[in-house]
Amino acid sequence: MSNDIEVTIHNKGDVAIINIKGDVTAVTAEAIEEAYQEVSLVGSTKILLVFAKECYINSGGIAILISIVSESQDNKQVIRITGLSEHFHKIFDMVGLTRYTAIFPSEAAALAGF
Amino acid sequence: MGSENSFDLQIPSVLGFEKVVVDFAASVGKVVHLPAERIEDLKTAVAEACTNAIEHGNKMKPHARVSVSFTIEESKLQVAVQDEGMGIGQATPPSLEQTMAGKKERPRGWGIFLIKNLMDEVEFETRPGRWNVVRMVVRLQE
Repeated sequence: MSNDIEVTIHNKGDVAIINIKGDVTAVTAEAIEEAYQEVSLVGSTKILLVFAKECYINSGGIAILISIVSESQDNKQVIRITGLSEHFHKIFDMVGLTRYTAIFPSEAAALAGF
Repeated sequence: MGSENSFDLQIPSVLGFEKVVVDFAASVGKVVHLPAERIEDLKTAVAEACTNAIEHGNKMKPHARVSVSFTIEESKLQVAVQDEGMGIGQATPPSLEQTMAGKKERPRGWGIFLIKNLMDEVEFETRPGRWNVVRMVVRLQE
């Protein structure tokens, strides 16, 4: 049984957008971490994580996101998040991630004023 | 409690199979008329309990089974997730602040944190060397 993830990167202006579709777990961590390192390597300081609505996110995936948000603070980057279902927005609130990164209801809202 | 009110299933200790239990949990949640929001809570809690059982309880040994039972009572739905290992107990709650303050290793323990925060009751029981079980309760609306 596999854990699948699809991660793509594109830019809108000076914002690096990382699209994430599929399973966000410890097993798929590498794909997300690689995308983050790739945009960091080219000097992106504004990063938007866009989750597909059907994403499955477990605690292993949350741990990865915490690590990335933590690293982004050291790198003086700002990370915004969009695409989360109401449930996962609640989960991100619960673990405290929303104290360090803002969650937006849409990609357009996340890009506005970024 | 009649057996008609309980359902059991077993999965191998292979990551990914926890999703089978999650789908089953969602179906049971619908049968007992849980609100959509509580079904999502149940799905996450069950996924975390099964993942812990696979990874930490059964150490990813594919032949080791994770047994899950759903019991519907008058005012609650109980889900028990049992593995064949030592269990990981209740674990120290993770600290987001410590991670952000520079402790960079990947934080652990969020699974149990989520289970405790999403379910109405949670109980851990371990028979060392034989089994470990997590019992979770979701109260049903009156």
